[in-house]
Amino acid sequence: MKFSVSWLQEFVELPSSVDELAELLTMAGVEIEKIEKRGANFDNVVVAKIVASAQHPNADRLSVCQVDAGSGQQRQIVCGAKNYKVGDKVPLALPGAVLANDLKIRPSKLRGVESQGMLCSPSELGLSEDSDGLLILSPEAKIGEPIGSLFPEDTILDVEITPNRGDLLSHFGLAREVSALVGAPLRGVREIGRFGETSLPNGVTISAPDECPFYSARRIENIKVGPSPDWLRARLESVGLRSINNIVDITNFVMLELGQPLHAFDADKLSGGINVRLANAGEEFLALDGKTYSLGQKDLVIADETRAVGIAGVMGGEDTGVTDSTKTLLLESAFFDPASVRRTARRLNLPSDASYRFERRVDPGLVLAASNRAAELMREISGANPAAEIATAGALPASPPDVSLRYEHCSEVIGVPVPSQRVEEILRGFGLEKASGNGTESLWRIPSHRFDLQRDVDLIEEVVRVFGIGNVPVRDRSRFTPTSEADKSHDLQMFMRKSLLARGYSEIRTSKLISRSALSFDPQAVQLRNPLSEDHVALRSTLMPGLIAVLERNILEGAERVNIFELSKIFVPPNADERHRLGILVWRASTQASGGIANSEELFLDLKETLASLLHQPSETKPSERRLTFRRAVHSDLVLAAHIFWDNAFVGHIGQLHSGHARRLETDTPICIAEIDFEPS
Amino acid sequence: MSHELEQLRDAALAEVAAAADEQTLEAARVRYLGRAGSISAWSDRMKSLSKEERPVVGKLLNEARTSVSAAITEAAERLRAAKEARELANIDISLPGTASELGSLHPLTQMLDRAISIFRRMGFALAEGPDVETEWHCFDALNTAPDHPARNEQDTFYLPDGRLLRTHTSTVQIRTMEKAPPPIRVIAPGAAYRRDEVDATHSTQFHQIEGLYVDEKVSIADLKGTLEFFLHELFGADAQVRFRPHYFPFTEPSFEIDVKSKALKGGEKWLEMCGCGMVHPAVFEQVNSARGDNAYDPEKWSGFAFGLGMDRLAMILFGIPDLRYFAANDLRFLKQFA
Repeated sequence: MKFSVSWLQEFVELPSSVDELAELLTMAGVEIEKIEKRGANFDNVVVAKIVASAQHPNADRLSVCQVDAGSGQQRQIVCGAKNYKVGDKVPLALPGAVLANDLKIRPSKLRGVESQGMLCSPSELGLSEDSDGLLILSPEAKIGEPIGSLFPEDTILDVEITPNRGDLLSHFGLAREVSALVGAPLRGVREIGRFGETSLPNGVTISAPDECPFYSARRIENIKVGPSPDWLRARLESVGLRSINNIVDITNFVMLELGQPLHAFDADKLSGGINVRLANAGEEFLALDGKTYSLGQKDLVIADETRAVGIAGVMGGEDTGVTDSTKTLLLESAFFDPASVRRTARRLNLPSDASYRFERRVDPGLVLAASNRAAELMREISGANPAAEIATAGALPASPPDVSLRYEHCSEVIGVPVPSQRVEEILRGFGLEKASGNGTESLWRIPSHRFDLQRDVDLIEEVVRVFGIGNVPVRDRSRFTPTSEADKSHDLQMFMRKSLLARGYSEIRTSKLISRSALSFDPQAVQLRNPLSEDHVALRSTLMPGLIAVLERNILEGAERVNIFELSKIFVPPNADERHRLGILVWRASTQASGGIANSEELFLDLKETLASLLHQPSETKPSERRLTFRRAVHSDLVLAAHIFWDNAFVGHIGQLHSGHARRLETDTPICIAEIDFEPS
Repeated sequence: MSHELEQLRDAALAEVAAAADEQTLEAARVRYLGRAGSISAWSDRMKSLSKEERPVVGKLLNEARTSVSAAITEAAERLRAAKEARELANIDISLPGTASELGSLHPLTQMLDRAISIFRRMGFALAEGPDVETEWHCFDALNTAPDHPARNEQDTFYLPDGRLLRTHTSTVQIRTMEKAPPPIRVIAPGAAYRRDEVDATHSTQFHQIEGLYVDEKVSIADLKGTLEFFLHELFGADAQVRFRPHYFPFTEPSFEIDVKSKALKGGEKWLEMCGCGMVHPAVFEQVNSARGDNAYDPEKWSGFAFGLGMDRLAMILFGIPDLRYFAANDLRFLKQFA
């Protein structure tokens, strides 16, 4: 998630430099992935009003604008954008200005028409990535004013929030974390709690209390939908959201500020009260993105008396959304079950900023505060008249249960004694309250936004984060350990690898997931229920497809000799039983170029000797008594095929790949392959 | 008479010393020590000597024969060396080296072997587990919520019978603890699978080394000591190592480890190397319920676990820019690691 540093500063005194802030958060487990400077503090870029616009005489895509930049004299500017109308206020870069991409502005002629500056897009001012048209400023912007006064400089942090910390998905939340880490006071949001919370009896019902424990709806009348003031737009655009209109922008702003997603319905398009229920099987729903979704009985919807008007926590409906003509709103603020929202968002492949937060659990303590905050902003910005009452149903989830912590255990886990006073100070910093306790153990009350704190180790982690892992000493825990079966298996495998290496064979490692169209594919091989691509559909039951594919690739690359082996697992159908197996392949481009050993007999005997040397390894007690034998056999992919027996037990096969396969690899010299099972014994 | 013999010996030695090639030397040998050679001829003359003279001259004769013979051997050696040097002097030693057909170990195997040998020196034994796993071993036992996104069919490969391809080697933690009571000190190298589109840094199949250490009073200090030692062994004592708090469902507290080393490509930045943490007590509780005992009593035993991405480590250590080279198995690539 993107955070604006100046926005964070509204809630807490930050460390003096951004790098220091980034280091503090990263080392506390809130990783800062990117730091970006933003802002429009440019010399010679001012607010200008477009007073006239005409087609460029020599270029279809250009216009010639007359603009008023407050100097008492109009300027002529050639412009390529189409998204403005006469009367709009836009940023004008005057000659001498240097823009975000280091573009220097000079008076110039474009296709024969003089241009005394340039009208700018948001990206040219470094405000956002949006380069699609001019930045249209609000009608209140003062002509001639430097653009920097509308878009002050800011730094944007790209922050990786781990899935257990949904409480950090807002500026208030991250500021609260900084406040705990540095011990600075947290400033609250001014408007929280301004309105009453009296329940309206008939407004809202919940028929699916498991999926929706709590729902609130507030009626807001006399709203005027229009563009957002510049400060609001700047906030949203600084963290990568597009401004839509003042109402939608306010709901997004509050979500980014407090972490509670809100939804605004056009109240005049709803019939009757709101019911939160599970969808009917096959219920169709036209969402805000213009697409129709088919819902199932596990999907939670917001419905009026006649139909679903929103997929709970995921997306609102197209025909009940806010439009330019909306007069009355119903503002939703709810607590949805995280698992339910996740299931639906996943199933419909419809992730949204709202579902992202509901899935990670919103703070029950802020559900109503967010509704109040939005209502106040609407009154401020659109002159709306919010109802003092709010219709609610259900109950907000209780705060997380208390957690007990033994101080000695805390020091044991960390590996260094941490004084109990220090532990308590740290936990209080995160908003925990000591419910009871003594010098050795105490019980802690967990704040509503920290549902991730469930047992003692979770509290210990908080202590470590503030105490600093850098302050934990290092200790050597090495001990004597006897050899395991896996050790023996590994040693045998490494011995085999090194023996083959000495004989000039190179080790390959190929995917255990193979394609159905691979040469020598075994139709019995266990297949995946949900493969991602045609290349990886089944668990290999033999190493041959991998060996052959690598040979093919190397022939294409012009190899003269290929001596390769793979030592890895295969999966025996029908149950995918796992076995270690060794596969070897030899091939020469031609008899001449490779020193004259490429006839079938020689390759076969060479490979046979290699196998014998591997099986008669030095650890064998009586090597001479164990016998390696080869018996002619039939194999679907091999000619000159033989079964290999080790002490009369079948261990694998050897042979020459039949010429049909060889032709597909575009070679006419023999390809010899052997594959043996081996288990350490 | 003695004088005569001494003169003959000196003449022979001088001639041998002066011989400039093997033929001259051979001619000198025949002339003096051959069957009809002048020194050999003295043997016949001995018979005609007096009883008094015979032992004196006999001794002189032996000495002459020995010294001339030794001089010839020495000269022959000198001439052979000179001839060899002359012959080899024409070889251009600035020509590129040529090699015989060498086999090579796959770079991933080399990486695994290097990591394994460090952990073995620290007292870890190897452990194994299957690639095809149950959902319980891969998720439930590792404290992963029933609705956790990782379980989704979009992220994990499933078999028709409901089993799955393990998404991490952490499954071997569970397999190991099911089989044996504490203390445990194991590492488990192996493959894991994720339903990721293949690109320069992603692959459907990747390789990890899992580690698990369970004993009485194991702490974060032990975790730090073990993994700092490992990373310093791998990257050198100069490498900087930092632990950064993170989140994994099956460890608490959890950390990621970053390494910074000027010796590495891109090593001016912190590079993420390893995920680790203290084994979550809920994992012990799951293992206990599967075992049907209380062998892993969280009040008595604690432990740490870690997972190292071997493909990524090999890319960093060997300076390989693209993960797909590992799977391509082009011999020209593989033989660079011979």
